[in-house]
Amino acid sequence: MTVAEVELIKRAQRGERDAFRLLVQMHYPTLFGFACKYCGNRQDAEDVAQQACIKLARNLGQFRHESAFTTWLYQLVINCARDWHKHERRHAHDEPQDYAIQDEAEPAVMLDQVLSLVSQMGNGFRETLTLVMGEGLTHAEAASILAVKESTVSWRIHEIRKRLNAEVDSGVSV
Amino acid sequence: MNEQDLKRLFEQIDAKPDESVKTRTVAAALSAYDDAQNIGARKDQGNGDIHRLSTKSNFSEDKPMYQASTTTATRRWLYSGFASAALLVVGVYTAILATQQTGFELPELEPTKSVQSSEVVKVERSVERAMDSLASSEQAARPERLSAPAQLALQPFEADALASGIDDREVSRDFQMQVDPSDHSIDALRPPTVGAEKDSGVTRKAQAAATARKREPLGEAYAAAAPASAAAAAAARAAAPSTINEVITSTDYRDMGRDRFETIETNPIRRVSDEPISTFSIDIDTSSYSFMRRELNRGVLPQKDAIRLEEMVNYFPYEYPVPDKREAPFSTDIAVIDAPWREGNKLVRIGIKGYELRNTRPQTNLVFLLDVSGSMNSPDKLPLVKQSMRMLLTSLQPVDTVAIAVYAGAAGTVLEPTPVRDKQAILNALDRLQAGGATAGAAGIKLAYQLAEANLADGGVNRIILATDGDFNIGIHNREELKGFVERKRQSGVFLSVLGFGQGNYNNALMQSLAQNGNGVATYIDTLGEAQKVLVTEATSTLFPIAADVKVQLEFNPATVSEYRLLGYETRILAEEDFNNDAVDAGDIGAGHSVTALYEITPRDSNSGAFSDSRYSEPKPTEGSLDEYGYLKLRYKLPGEEVSRLISQPIPVQTDDAAIALQEARFAIAVAGFAELLRGGKYTGDWGYQDALQLALDNRGEDPFGYRSELVQLIRKAQVADAM
Repeated sequence: MTVAEVELIKRAQRGERDAFRLLVQMHYPTLFGFACKYCGNRQDAEDVAQQACIKLARNLGQFRHESAFTTWLYQLVINCARDWHKHERRHAHDEPQDYAIQDEAEPAVMLDQVLSLVSQMGNGFRETLTLVMGEGLTHAEAASILAVKESTVSWRIHEIRKRLNAEVDSGVSV
Repeated sequence: MNEQDLKRLFEQIDAKPDESVKTRTVAAALSAYDDAQNIGARKDQGNGDIHRLSTKSNFSEDKPMYQASTTTATRRWLYSGFASAALLVVGVYTAILATQQTGFELPELEPTKSVQSSEVVKVERSVERAMDSLASSEQAARPERLSAPAQLALQPFEADALASGIDDREVSRDFQMQVDPSDHSIDALRPPTVGAEKDSGVTRKAQAAATARKREPLGEAYAAAAPASAAAAAAARAAAPSTINEVITSTDYRDMGRDRFETIETNPIRRVSDEPISTFSIDIDTSSYSFMRRELNRGVLPQKDAIRLEEMVNYFPYEYPVPDKREAPFSTDIAVIDAPWREGNKLVRIGIKGYELRNTRPQTNLVFLLDVSGSMNSPDKLPLVKQSMRMLLTSLQPVDTVAIAVYAGAAGTVLEPTPVRDKQAILNALDRLQAGGATAGAAGIKLAYQLAEANLADGGVNRIILATDGDFNIGIHNREELKGFVERKRQSGVFLSVLGFGQGNYNNALMQSLAQNGNGVATYIDTLGEAQKVLVTEATSTLFPIAADVKVQLEFNPATVSEYRLLGYETRILAEEDFNNDAVDAGDIGAGHSVTALYEITPRDSNSGAFSDSRYSEPKPTEGSLDEYGYLKLRYKLPGEEVSRLISQPIPVQTDDAAIALQEARFAIAVAGFAELLRGGKYTGDWGYQDALQLALDNRGEDPFGYRSELVQLIRKAQVADAM
């Protein structure tokens, strides 16, 4: 993080409206991109990103410059997305989903299916997958965002790989 | 789906933000920002009344680690210090114990272990009984002490920690079992009895007692609870050595030189005047060849008893004339050529080719009986078994059924009979298999027969495929009994084939006799390539018998032949009278099988014989055709039939063999000669590996699968191994 960025954040924290606007505009693509990968579709991602920006506005003061700002942002988005999903699940998705995954499916549909499959594996798996595979972060970076051990991230990725190998590519050739 | 696919999937997602949405979001964020700033501003101006005063800190109170206080902090250090010290002591002790014990041998330990543990249990029981009575009295006296189980509940945990120092799952399981009773507070008094078994147990007990005393300053009485864990530890250790040993031997399982083969004597030369008739049962096993190949590839000559000439010769497919009727399921082809190793002698080659099934294959009901005992835990065993079974699946039809039974310490069904079209279920079941435990082969065989009989395919093929490294050590361990069982079951129409795996502990003799009695083939699978040959390329011959109880009888013509010798088939020799007795079992021929038998004969007019002329007994006047060396008779039963059929054919002195027939015969002779050399070369004279090599090289023929070229390589390796 450059000095200018740090300065920008500090100014926004002090209450400079323009600094904050710049900050949001700067980071919005990252936020939105990550939300997209996490949610698997644009509509949800837009909502989640907006929630995240609002949360950013309210909680910027709590950022203490101890970690990287992006790390903090990722945490913010993940929290928003989790809330969003909780909310969504309460209202929609009553019909049981079919998790059979076809290789030929459209990327968006396919990603959606993969994500729901991975979510089923337990808490934190979807986040891990999105951070490591989607955002290309290292296991250590993902671990610091998710506040877990690096080994946990590695294990989750391993499990996901195993599961996807088994479920998605079921055309076993002998 | 692999990682690249997944990453690509993420990249394909259109993650470009929409400008309008972005603007809207920024606006929303800004307004939220304004709100937040305003709240902050108001706060600055002293309007703090919207913030309620709260005594709560940010730390969540339900997380005990946030409740730091000086007393708990020091106590925590103290406890963990003691715990680590205890762990260290046990760890070191166990390490010493383990190193001392590794020299022991497993078989001797088996009985001691059971005695030990049963003794421990006995002692524990009696102590428990005594304690129960004590308990009731104590309970009556001091109920308030017993009502504090929370502290005592610590004991099992500490025991756990101790156990982890032993660093072995087996031990810790044992351990916990023994520790369990210590949940009862009163059992605390138990240690003196049990703990006394071990000297070191006493010191440990004292230490643990000290620990407990410091930990629970409130009630000295509870200090007595601590020895419970120490005693339990001691008791566990008493049982531990055997467990540790067991584990060590099984993880590092590699016994050598325990391959068992039946000792066979090479067939002697016989005088036609004494014994003109030779009878034997055909043999289609090939395990000897694969075993020999394995040994030669390791650079050593195989042991002599491992070499069975007929199995080596029959390993190769030969181009004999193919019969075209199912009713006459095989053809015989006879060639007579000069013996390469003894001038003047001739070799009679009898080639039998089974009818080949084309497009009509009977329904098949297979039961895989897989050995998953600890000894199978090496790359050339269980993983190869799994691979082989996968291969076999490819050569089955969708309607065929497969069931999987395993045996180790106990026999169990892994997969109920499942149609092959449900391939994934079968593959999943195979993948789940892991090696561990002892080998209850007999129980497994019984289970496999039950499975096969439950799903009997009428008019089809019912076969158990046993995959093992050949050790049966629990259950019907009497070999005769096991053979009898397999033989009885054969009547029910369920046959047994044996696939041998691994080396070091391979019990070839048992495997062979099982397959022989189960109307099946014994094959040795040393590589994936061999699995491919047996289970895919030759799957039909492995699976579908076309003729049963095939016997060969050869009567030599004393007018033309003076001596003869049958090459191989030592274990398959039949009495002359058994040839016509349909009750006598013999070998089966599978679809497309080729079987080869070789006789070395000395013609009457040649002086190359081994016997010298008798001075006293007059050579009998010989009559009979001078055009025939002998007369060949073959008996076989069609599958399901009880009465045998007969094929007969003279062996002419002059055969006008086609080039291809000569080539096949010569190659068979090269293999047979090689086998003889490996067995010590009793009759081969000066003929050596180099000659075998040349003969094999010259007669490789088309060799579409490369089997014959492989033999050439093996002869070279034998040459090198022999020279060493």
